[in-house]
Amino acid sequence: MLKFFSSPILVFSSAIVLRVVLFFYGLWQDANSPMKYTDIDYYVFTDAARFTARGYSPYDRETYRYTPLLAWMLLPTTWSATWFSFGKVLFAIGDIVAGWLIVLVLQASSKMSTERALKFASIWLLNPMVATISTRGSSEGLLGVMVIALLWAIMKKRIYVAGLLLGLGVHFKIYPFIYAPSIIWWLDDEQVGSRKSGSSTKTDIVSQIKNFCNGSRIKITVTSLLTFIILNTLMYSIYGWPFLQHTYLHHVTRLDHRHNFSPYNTLLYLNSSAPGTSLIPLESVAFIPQLFLSAFALPLMLAKKDLPSTMLAQTFAFVSFNKVCTSQYFLWYMVFLPFYLPNSSLLARKYLGIAAASLWVAAQALWLQQGFELEFLGKSTFVPGLWLASILFFLTNIWILGIIVSDVGSGPRPLRVK
Amino acid sequence: MRQRITFLQEPQDSLDPKLLEVTSDSISTKELKAAREDRVTFGFDELPQELYRVLKASHELHIRWVSPNNYNTIAPLVSRLSPGLHLFYTPQRNNNGSNLLCPMLKKVFGDLDCQSPEKSFTTLPVERFALSAATQYYQPLESLHDLVEYGQHKLCQSSDQECLSRISSLLDASSVDIDFDTISHALTITAFWPPQTRHLSVKNTIKNTRLEVGILSVESPKEPEELSLGGFLTVVGEDTKPSPTLFSFPARHHPTGSTFSASFLTPTGMHPTLELGISSSRPPTEERSCSLHAHLTLPRAIFVDKYQLSDQLLLASKNLSAVHYITTPVDLEAPAYAMTLWGSSVLVELAPPSSGAEQPWTEQPWTAAIPLHLRYLPPTSSTSGQSPLHIPYPVVFWACVADEGSKFPINPFDRVNLGYDGLFGPKTMFYHLPPEGDTLINTITVPVLDLDKSKYVELGTAGVVLLGFLWVGWCLWRVWSRNPYGSGANKVAKEKKKQ
Repeated sequence: MLKFFSSPILVFSSAIVLRVVLFFYGLWQDANSPMKYTDIDYYVFTDAARFTARGYSPYDRETYRYTPLLAWMLLPTTWSATWFSFGKVLFAIGDIVAGWLIVLVLQASSKMSTERALKFASIWLLNPMVATISTRGSSEGLLGVMVIALLWAIMKKRIYVAGLLLGLGVHFKIYPFIYAPSIIWWLDDEQVGSRKSGSSTKTDIVSQIKNFCNGSRIKITVTSLLTFIILNTLMYSIYGWPFLQHTYLHHVTRLDHRHNFSPYNTLLYLNSSAPGTSLIPLESVAFIPQLFLSAFALPLMLAKKDLPSTMLAQTFAFVSFNKVCTSQYFLWYMVFLPFYLPNSSLLARKYLGIAAASLWVAAQALWLQQGFELEFLGKSTFVPGLWLASILFFLTNIWILGIIVSDVGSGPRPLRVK
Repeated sequence: MRQRITFLQEPQDSLDPKLLEVTSDSISTKELKAAREDRVTFGFDELPQELYRVLKASHELHIRWVSPNNYNTIAPLVSRLSPGLHLFYTPQRNNNGSNLLCPMLKKVFGDLDCQSPEKSFTTLPVERFALSAATQYYQPLESLHDLVEYGQHKLCQSSDQECLSRISSLLDASSVDIDFDTISHALTITAFWPPQTRHLSVKNTIKNTRLEVGILSVESPKEPEELSLGGFLTVVGEDTKPSPTLFSFPARHHPTGSTFSASFLTPTGMHPTLELGISSSRPPTEERSCSLHAHLTLPRAIFVDKYQLSDQLLLASKNLSAVHYITTPVDLEAPAYAMTLWGSSVLVELAPPSSGAEQPWTEQPWTAAIPLHLRYLPPTSSTSGQSPLHIPYPVVFWACVADEGSKFPINPFDRVNLGYDGLFGPKTMFYHLPPEGDTLINTITVPVLDLDKSKYVELGTAGVVLLGFLWVGWCLWRVWSRNPYGSGANKVAKEKKKQ
């Protein structure tokens, strides 16, 4: 076992073999069973790619709610029946690349040995959930490689590359915008290493602002904004209003009645069916705690202490407080776990870690069981079952988030050697 | 006004014409075993002003009401629709009078969920068949009480007992068609009562109106696509005795020997499956190519996911062959209470199992399953979180391609604008399978949010989210109080200096 993690070739070939096996198993199941291995969303993407290939808009496919870039990327899936699975291969390669970048970041930022870095990167690389999601054809893995590449670029101080990736990520899925404040806050003179002598002694506001606006911060802001604006202008000029409607506005106006892990779910069902009857328009103020924590307080307090773990905390907060939450969103924060766990009290204090993991799984299991009774047995489990399960899951997440915040706040933990 | 009353008999029940008593204004006989069809045609000037205003704005309007109680049909009146109120409508071009339609429908039929043709109607494919209307609307409707009341009030003199009772007999009808198109400039009401033994007595109380009474039974036809009717016709007031008649015409709708049942597999959950039981897979004729179809009329709370039903393996596993038509658009996500469109209709081709190479069909009963999905319905109180949903039976028929040469000239008993006829070529013949069961409606329960248990949801959610927010805030405050903003490395360095 010790040997296994000391060899990058072994770890990466296992990760590849895992995906190849799942990929071919999926092809077999799809060809032989009416129950499909392939994710429903994959049919949405490939249908949209087919529309694009014929010169139509990808938004002609109902429920296509992504950037046209995704449909363009999947154009090869329209070439032939064999090429249909191209997207899954692409997503799986994205997984592997993300894993490789995780190793690079761990080695560079935490000065970690290759073996230890590979061990933690395996949380992503050898995670069956991650491999299944990408080989089923869900694009969430692409987001993983994008944000890890962003982190890598920042760590390597390749500011223009980082700006490009940040703009692209936000264009792709909106939520990566929460990384902008933490990255910008983190890019202080200490990190950039360009402190001009004497400039920090002045304390008046003007010079503090001047001081804050260092080259890197300006560069990344301008590059990411330009990337975002250029991509959106381009897409809008080609696909017009439907692009804005489906890619962005939909997420603001959507009525998410179908049950999901979000604590707001039951409330949204209640309020959407009888508008104007609730005391507080909770669903429209819901973004306040979510954005305050994920885009302001967490970056401000933690980013300078440990950027990768701060990004984990931000994503965790964003997903936990979101109005919609499905298991694919868990990938968004899972990709950051290899950076946080090495210094976390969840690993240092075994029972705490086991308790957190079991609670996280148990709350989901309870929710899934209640969801099954609703979806397939027709029992009205909305209240208290599903509601309580989602509240329990939220509380578990928040408890874990508290632990992450405290861990990141107390800085690198001295290594405990047994 | 013109009236045509037809009694349709099985050949063995044929009436001896000597038993018919014909006077100058009536026709009667003691006992008659027959189905009855009444067809009344109104000129524009005979209609109430408010109806005329609505019709003037219509290019064509076809209303089909079918009773939820199962009934027997008789050739040539064998075509069927799902029970409920169907509406096929083409507005007059350059006319904005179509906003009068929904209020008028509500006045005539009672409380319909019809806002306006733009908001509530779905569009039909127009390019295929000139005979079909442009838009469709449907709503479950159990009885024609409101129509009868409206008709008695607006069409009859209060002293005209014959008129009042004729209209109230619509309450027993199994189907009622109301047709209007600009070309004929007339409104036709056609009602059908299933076969039963009845006392016949028809009076013509209105002067200068034509009343024709026919008593007909099916004869064996010369050509397979034809129907042959023989019997007696009498124009009340003109004829002193019934005149014998025999005529044939190519018919669009035909009966078949097999039947079907429709029920939902339990538990239904949020993804109910409609199971169709077909008594035999034998096609109605071996001379033409025929395919078996189910046409579903689905209220908005339930729908078919066309993407799910595009997979050949899934279709084959359910004994389905293809989805040929589905209303566009069908929102795949919206809750029922956020929609204004009435719902959707679906045409599915079934795949009868074959028993072997030499005989491609089997007399064995078999089933096909159609996977459906439910939308979320509004929360309720005091129903334990379950809401009933009534889903009409589909219609099931064989569609056979008719001979190249044969056309369907307008025959006196033809019926078009049924929702599915426009989805086939003009020469298609339909062989209808009668449904089994007493009521042609399946009722399932849909789980909904139980308001009796939801009082704490709003405050509970708000409280928990606030608690979570404060907990993370507290953790952040503790971090800040120890080491604001700065990197851990800084702190470690400072501590080292202190030491």
